[in-house]
Amino acid sequence: MKDKPALLKLASVSKAFGGVQALDDISFEFDAGLIMGLIGPNGAGKTTLFNVITGAYVPDSGAVSLDGIPIQGRRIQDIVHLGISRTFQNVELFESMSVIENIMVGRHVRTRSGFWSAITRVPAIRREEKALRERAQELLDFVGLADQADRRSGDLPFGWQRLLEIARALASDPKLLLLDEPAAGLNAVETGRLGELIGNIRDLGVTVMLVEHDMALTMSVCDQIIVLDQGCMLAEGLPREIQSNAAVMAAYLGNG
Amino acid sequence: MTPSLKKGVAYALACSAIAGIGLAATNPYHLQVMTFIGINSLLALGLNLLMGYAGQISLGHAAFYGIGAYTTAILTATYGLSPWLSLPMAVAAAALVAFLVGMPTLKLSGYYLGMGTLGFGMIAFIVFREWDGVTGGASGFVGIPPLAVGPLNLSSGRNYFYLVWGVLLVAILVCRRIIDSRTGRALRAIHDSENAARAVGVGTMHLKLQVFVFSAAVAALAGFLYAHYVSFISPGTFDFLMSVRMVTMVVIGGMASIWGAILGASLLTLLPEWLHAFSDLEMVVYGLIMMGVMIVMPQGLTRGILDLYERARERHER
Repeated sequence: MKDKPALLKLASVSKAFGGVQALDDISFEFDAGLIMGLIGPNGAGKTTLFNVITGAYVPDSGAVSLDGIPIQGRRIQDIVHLGISRTFQNVELFESMSVIENIMVGRHVRTRSGFWSAITRVPAIRREEKALRERAQELLDFVGLADQADRRSGDLPFGWQRLLEIARALASDPKLLLLDEPAAGLNAVETGRLGELIGNIRDLGVTVMLVEHDMALTMSVCDQIIVLDQGCMLAEGLPREIQSNAAVMAAYLGNG
Repeated sequence: MTPSLKKGVAYALACSAIAGIGLAATNPYHLQVMTFIGINSLLALGLNLLMGYAGQISLGHAAFYGIGAYTTAILTATYGLSPWLSLPMAVAAAALVAFLVGMPTLKLSGYYLGMGTLGFGMIAFIVFREWDGVTGGASGFVGIPPLAVGPLNLSSGRNYFYLVWGVLLVAILVCRRIIDSRTGRALRAIHDSENAARAVGVGTMHLKLQVFVFSAAVAALAGFLYAHYVSFISPGTFDFLMSVRMVTMVVIGGMASIWGAILGASLLTLLPEWLHAFSDLEMVVYGLIMMGVMIVMPQGLTRGILDLYERARERHER
């Protein structure tokens, strides 16, 4: 018997689009403090699963809970507030805004100022704005973009845009950070640094779940791996168990 | 100089410029044109917050301008209410309509939002024109009382010029503060990527609705100022062409720029006055100038002029 609920728990989650069963009876759970890998061939349902966890999709059936709190069907902003944030497969920054402003928007759910307080600029709002800027700068230091704060984010090189997107996702103080193919488009050196960064994020106390096609990276950073294939759970276990799992081999390479 | 001091100086300069212009201008026609520039700038400013910053197009904004004007006209002329009581009601009426219209239409985006707001604008125009008993119908609404504060009559050209530009200055300050805040950043985020904005936890629908209502309220304020200035309003002022003109002011001036709104409003107010000389060809020349500006300065006047300035400075330094 555990006295604390799992950080994230999915119970029999299913989601279909038209006739396609994108997720079929997915159940798993994991505790805080881990780096979870989510792998599977193209079309396995990884991104759909991310969209279900973040609230972009509502599952057709089943339950998703964070720290024991059911989250399926809640608004995205409430789920972010509860502590889940994400990055996108194709980096989606606010390109016309500066680097630091991107992170400040990332902290939207942890700040309060609204229309009226913006107009009146009461002292509490000035303080909030100042603290927000400081926090954003800390996050820039953390991902190694400290001296880029005022650059237009769309002008950054691609690798830095990825780092900025991760910093923006961290700005909402998540308990669980979902990274959707963070190494896509990065070179070997950048991928190596990304691996270190993911470790550092875990050391901050943020649980990380990543979808990744770069197997070297996945196997080296992940504590646990979940394998999906055609919307179904295929396997779950330690990286070395997954590597020697016959079903996983078959899914990736075909039944030769 | 600190940024806040710089801003203070800019406002002081703007205030003294307005005061200076008001004192120097003796020709009532000049004062009148500048008053209209002020009213149009207010319209462009509100729409710019919606279009330039939040990236949501409205092709029916003249409706809110009209709602402001007609509400105050009806309340003051028909029911004898004081204009200062009808002002909040005119603004609230437009805000309420914007809220009701915005709820379904702001779910749309791009062209579809354009179509939705266009339809709304046309409906509003038909209501202004056909509701004879209340709005005066196609022949217009006469006898809107002038504004006065105690013994001070604001109907004179100079006083009204000061009133309009004073209101505009406050509106600029308010818009600046909104843009430079958590809300303003979230609006710009929606413009850049609505998907990502939603993912970081911005309540995009709520925020779009808020800014739509706000810009409608600003348009209604402009309508209030217009109605009490000209004392006669007719539906033609608030038709589809006016909505297009408002969008043009924002685009020509430069999206997402406060100065752009004022530049665009000035150009669109002044051009017809300057082009009277061309008589029959007036609209042709007008159209050609619009095309020319957009071809030479696709980012609008503000960006275009800044680029020219920077190029000139570079050449000078070399």
